Amino acid sequence: MRKAPARPNGVVLAFWLVGSLLLAFILAPLIGLATVQSPASLARVAAMPDVRVAIGLSLLAAFLTTAWAALLGVPLAYVLARTEFRGKEIVAAIVDLPLAVPHTVAGIALLIVFGRQGWIGGPAGEVLGLRFWGTLAGVVVGMLFVSAPYAVNAARIGFEAVDPRLEKVARTLGMGPWRVLAEITLPLAWRSIMTGLTLTYARAISEFAAVAILAYYPMTAPVKIYELFLQSGLDEASGMALLLLVVSLALFILFRHIARRGADFASVGR
Amino acid sequence: MTGAVFAIEGACLTLGRFSLRAIDLELDAGEIMVLLGPNGAGKSVCLEMIAGFHRPTSGRILIHGREVTSLPPERRRVGLVFQNFGLFPHFTVAGNVSLGLHARRRVGRAQATRGVGELLAQFGIAHLSDRYPQDLSPGEKQRVALARGLAAQPDLFLFDEPFSALDARTRDALRDELKTFLRQSGAPAIFVSHDQTDAALLADRVAVMNRGEILQIGAVPEVFRKPVNAFVAEFTGMENILAGRVLGQSGDLWRVQVADTVLYAQGDDLAGNDASLCIRAEEVGLSVTDREGSLGLHGATNRLAGTVTDTTSLGVISRVTVDCGFALVAYLTDRNVRELGLSSGREVVAEIEVGSIHLLRRDAKDCVALSQERQGAGAVLIPQPWRSAAKGRA
Repeated sequence: MRKAPARPNGVVLAFWLVGSLLLAFILAPLIGLATVQSPASLARVAAMPDVRVAIGLSLLAAFLTTAWAALLGVPLAYVLARTEFRGKEIVAAIVDLPLAVPHTVAGIALLIVFGRQGWIGGPAGEVLGLRFWGTLAGVVVGMLFVSAPYAVNAARIGFEAVDPRLEKVARTLGMGPWRVLAEITLPLAWRSIMTGLTLTYARAISEFAAVAILAYYPMTAPVKIYELFLQSGLDEASGMALLLLVVSLALFILFRHIARRGADFASVGR
Repeated sequence: MTGAVFAIEGACLTLGRFSLRAIDLELDAGEIMVLLGPNGAGKSVCLEMIAGFHRPTSGRILIHGREVTSLPPERRRVGLVFQNFGLFPHFTVAGNVSLGLHARRRVGRAQATRGVGELLAQFGIAHLSDRYPQDLSPGEKQRVALARGLAAQPDLFLFDEPFSALDARTRDALRDELKTFLRQSGAPAIFVSHDQTDAALLADRVAVMNRGEILQIGAVPEVFRKPVNAFVAEFTGMENILAGRVLGQSGDLWRVQVADTVLYAQGDDLAGNDASLCIRAEEVGLSVTDREGSLGLHGATNRLAGTVTDTTSLGVISRVTVDCGFALVAYLTDRNVRELGLSSGREVVAEIEVGSIHLLRRDAKDCVALSQERQGAGAVLIPQPWRSAAKGRA
């Protein structure tokens, strides 16, 4: 149902004015980045093999991160949305913790646990032969730590918006709890879940500090940009930066579009 | 084992601070029971316990003699309809009904399509087959919900205030339709409501609940006219609950003093007790002739002198308050009020038949309950049918 546009009043006009300052603040650097580049230098950077590899690695690692976040985060979101238990607020706070931890701190902490002698890194290396220091797995661990909260929180909101009475009706019609989850709850929460995973993906691609500390090599795009900045200066670094920006923005818009394609059933179902 | 189609025997349940106490209910085939009570009375919890979402700590639940107390909801064969009818917004009308059809049984695709078609036709909604719930009117939604429920072949229907979000006119129409449907289906139904109109118009029997307890079960006239306590009286729209003192018996009638007046009433053994007199406002007659004629007991009618203090039109019905030494409320048609020329200050004779007075033994507990429940119970004072009539007119 569409709302009729409200008659603009003083408060709304004033707030638009203030709000557009923020919009300009966000857009100006990105536009600036785009305008300083000559097509020639952009093409030169795009042709560099290690730049391509780094961007490809970033996309792959972010995809794996998103998959893990979905696999582990969506069930947790469901539990948080559908059940009441002692310490639920604490669990929710733990989920949000990575948002509050500086990412360099996260990187150090992850290195301690996932490093060669860490609680997890040690046994994983001995038993599974899985190493996190300087590997794709390490990149994913760094990305997952900082981006998982987005997946959990969005999915939780999505589940909470599904009227529990619909699930109850489905049960009385003869569906078991797993079938209700598959046919009623997940489809109705789908859009929120996908929105959360899109944010997770975006946040994973953009992570620098945690990844750089745990797995400087293989180089992801942000790390590679940093290296170019240190070695070759602003020109090449900004070329690659623009390239990464275009690729990740395009993917972000594409995913958002996919996530929104299904009609917003959850809200009309209330 | 009981002969009833559905029975709860002594079911108790505790949920946090709330508890259901010793719920006993029995329904025969095709019977409609309305579970009536204020918010927080435990009606919905009781319904969800029957559906299988809460397991009673003691007692048992039987459907067709089969004990279902520990079965999950999907194996109980119970149809559930909520407020707004609980249609799945991401399925079409046909999709909703078809879920009801094969959720429990293995049904072939062709057979399912045919089954859905037949059900939609039966409910007169075949033309809506491809629509989504958000594009349906409340009446259409109800039909889809009933068709979907029926598709799963339930032994018992449960309704949790399905009409509470609807306007009065729609509610009346849907209530009639629902009753017809239930009469035809033959399945017993429990209908939860806080609206006494639902009880009056739908119920074969009504069960009044408060604070996790069923206070009274019976046919509607019995419960509405002969409430077992002050709460039930209040909640079923008893306008006149008068504090009285039992003076003694004369013949088979009790003499009860209310303020300075003596009323005659039938009742059980009340000697030596204070009593509450319950008189439904629609049972109070007013006349303006032979005022001095015959006050007191006249045949089987109490006649009291009084002065009108207020008349309020509720649409087709007027609520007239008369001061007889105590406030007495009467419902009259607007036409009656006009013909009698009733207005503030008019002197009248109020007539109450002996049999229309229900005597309640008054104990302290009731008085406390009453005074507590009275807070915020103002809406109960005007019975729903007349309120909705008033609305329809405005």
